[in-house]
Amino acid sequence: MTQAPQAVVSGMGVVSAIGLTVAENLDALRHARSGIRPLALIPSVHKGKLLVGEIPLSNVELYGALGIPEDEAYTRTALLALLAMQEAMAEVDLGDGRRTGLISATTVGGMDATERYYDDYLESPAHRHFIPTHPCGHFTEQIAQRYGIRNYVTTISTACSSAANAIMLGARMIRAGLLDRAIVGGADSLSQFTINGFNSLMIYSDTYCAPFDEHRKGLNLGEAAAFLVLESEATAHELERTPLAYVSGYGNANDAFHQTASSDDGEGALLAMQSALKVAGLPPSAIDYVNAHGTATPNNDLSEGKALVELFGGNEAVPLFSSTKAFTGHTLAAAGAIEAVYSILALSEQAVLPNLNFNTPIAELGITPQTEWKATQVRHVLSNSLGFGGNCSSLVFSKNP
Amino acid sequence: MTQTIYIHGVGAITSQPELLDGATDEVRAYQQVLVPAVDPDYKALIPALQLRRLNKSMRMALYAARVAMREAGVEQVDAIVTGTGLGCLTDSERFVQAMRENDEQFLNPTPFIQSTHNMAAATIALAIGCKGYNMTYVHNATSMEAAMLDTMLYLCEHPESTVLMGGGDELGLRTPQFWEQAGYLDTVRPQVPTPLTSPGTPGEVASEGSAFFAVSAKESERTVAKITGVKTAHDVTDMSAWIGHFLVEHGIGIGDLDLVMLGYNGDNRYDAIYRSVGEGIFSDLPQAAYKHVLGEYDTVVASGMALAVQILVHQRVPAVLRLNSYEPGRLRRVLLYNQRRGKNHSLVLMQTAGC
Repeated sequence: MTQAPQAVVSGMGVVSAIGLTVAENLDALRHARSGIRPLALIPSVHKGKLLVGEIPLSNVELYGALGIPEDEAYTRTALLALLAMQEAMAEVDLGDGRRTGLISATTVGGMDATERYYDDYLESPAHRHFIPTHPCGHFTEQIAQRYGIRNYVTTISTACSSAANAIMLGARMIRAGLLDRAIVGGADSLSQFTINGFNSLMIYSDTYCAPFDEHRKGLNLGEAAAFLVLESEATAHELERTPLAYVSGYGNANDAFHQTASSDDGEGALLAMQSALKVAGLPPSAIDYVNAHGTATPNNDLSEGKALVELFGGNEAVPLFSSTKAFTGHTLAAAGAIEAVYSILALSEQAVLPNLNFNTPIAELGITPQTEWKATQVRHVLSNSLGFGGNCSSLVFSKNP
Repeated sequence: MTQTIYIHGVGAITSQPELLDGATDEVRAYQQVLVPAVDPDYKALIPALQLRRLNKSMRMALYAARVAMREAGVEQVDAIVTGTGLGCLTDSERFVQAMRENDEQFLNPTPFIQSTHNMAAATIALAIGCKGYNMTYVHNATSMEAAMLDTMLYLCEHPESTVLMGGGDELGLRTPQFWEQAGYLDTVRPQVPTPLTSPGTPGEVASEGSAFFAVSAKESERTVAKITGVKTAHDVTDMSAWIGHFLVEHGIGIGDLDLVMLGYNGDNRYDAIYRSVGEGIFSDLPQAAYKHVLGEYDTVVASGMALAVQILVHQRVPAVLRLNSYEPGRLRRVLLYNQRRGKNHSLVLMQTAGC
């Protein structure tokens, strides 16, 4: 499979707490400007207290920005996804006869509407048009219908690795010749459901999250959406695209250790990274930068860190790495997609992105993330996404084929 | 996509266990709009301590997966690929309810953890110690089909592998009340077997279930059937042309099919879609239905496929499933056509082993 034509990244779009466009996200990353703030928009007892990476636009404002009539039912996840799609699809002509698929990802789906109208649906008809929005697949269908994407359309939900798996499926389908173009990515809005879920797990930090720090206290959640336009090399060539990057490797493995926790030795993450490198045909030493999952939970960072040390053959051999979670919060299903965008920015800017809030290396690991924007040669980036249910995914993005 | 999936073992949990066992033509009758799956003796295949912690989606999936592996004679698989329209609905509801009742304080995290959509696939991986590829598709009524398409691709990439492929959904408690408000359900005269004659009534009978298949890219003496084609579409404007094109892609014509299994569920607002092809391109073929006995849920096609395997293995179409009086000859090729509420259409082409 390593000899098959690779998928080219021809376009991308992102909305997150650090910006509503790729350019805005890049500017925040370059200037170490975090988007983490006290919760402001979600109705919750945690409002004004818990720290989140919230996108500072209300649903009403998002409806307006997207030109959606107010009597139609779009959940926040769908609205964020459509905003990211606008940017990603700017250069795509869906009428060009290419076989175009849409592979999206979410964990929250329409839960933000369901939790809001949970009693209301039974009492009043006012919001019942939101009932069909609950299933995870619904917003993907809405995107497909708005854009007229009629070839293959599906949705993946594998917890925090969801969007990485959507990118992987798109790249695999292009390599197998099943699609000429795959729009891949994911979206998750903040919701009471996820905020309280992670809070009840006692892994929600009461302060700004500090990935890979010895004294990290857990994660901050965030919301985001991002989509990439993947095209076959032939399609990209015919359309005279300037490739942003190549999806050169991908891998998924299961930790098969615990429902939520990662194994102590990070075996699942290691297996995923190894298979991604195998597909890419690259040795570990070819990786210039690792965009780590790095949620800043005690368990994730230790486990992922051990896998990195193991993969690269010792703590000294671990290349430049960072987690961008302290900018955006952990955006769950969207994380793999926004971090794919950031990995591609690392390639296009020839720079490594900073890991904020880091002070002290984890004693057990002896590895230190890159804490400042650093201009350096970046040819291959490894991006990790690790989730509940032991779901571990790793992607390799390359500057050249 | 032409990679053949060879099925070596099947496990299914539905509201019609006897029918799925192939033991009888009799089906259970129900006069209710929500029909739960009949619980098997889970303890026979799942240790009691483990079982206590599993919600219905997880226990149905693990049990069905273990049966499929046992039938196939495999101890381990290389990958687990699943589909679910709504995931672990009851735990999702439980967590929302707890949030509301306790004002977001002092919440038990277990329902939150177990509400995650990939929990069935993760539970199987954890139980059997499978560290390989693990994927979950959540695309409404084509979630199982997405799992099948991924499996085909995976088996192209890894021709020596064995894959557990399956799909399942559970009934919730509050969510079906929402379905009623949205007009999905036949709350007036629900019954199973659901009458499929015109003019019929609006609404579905909702059910639940899980079916798993132990599959590979190679035929063996255990092979019970094979899947040679899968296709999905959100909207289809010309159904006959769409189906015809699918058959051409697989090098066959209508006359090469020995049976079509149509996804009639008794909802007269959408059953006309099946009737149009039943009275159109499929009019000269033996036809069967399956959702009028299994009920409706997003991944019911997985259990429909388990039924198709029974039909292909026993070379017999149970009378209760038959839609017309055509007597099938040798049953080699079965086409399943499904849609739900006029959206998410799918075609699954299945064949006997060795044909």
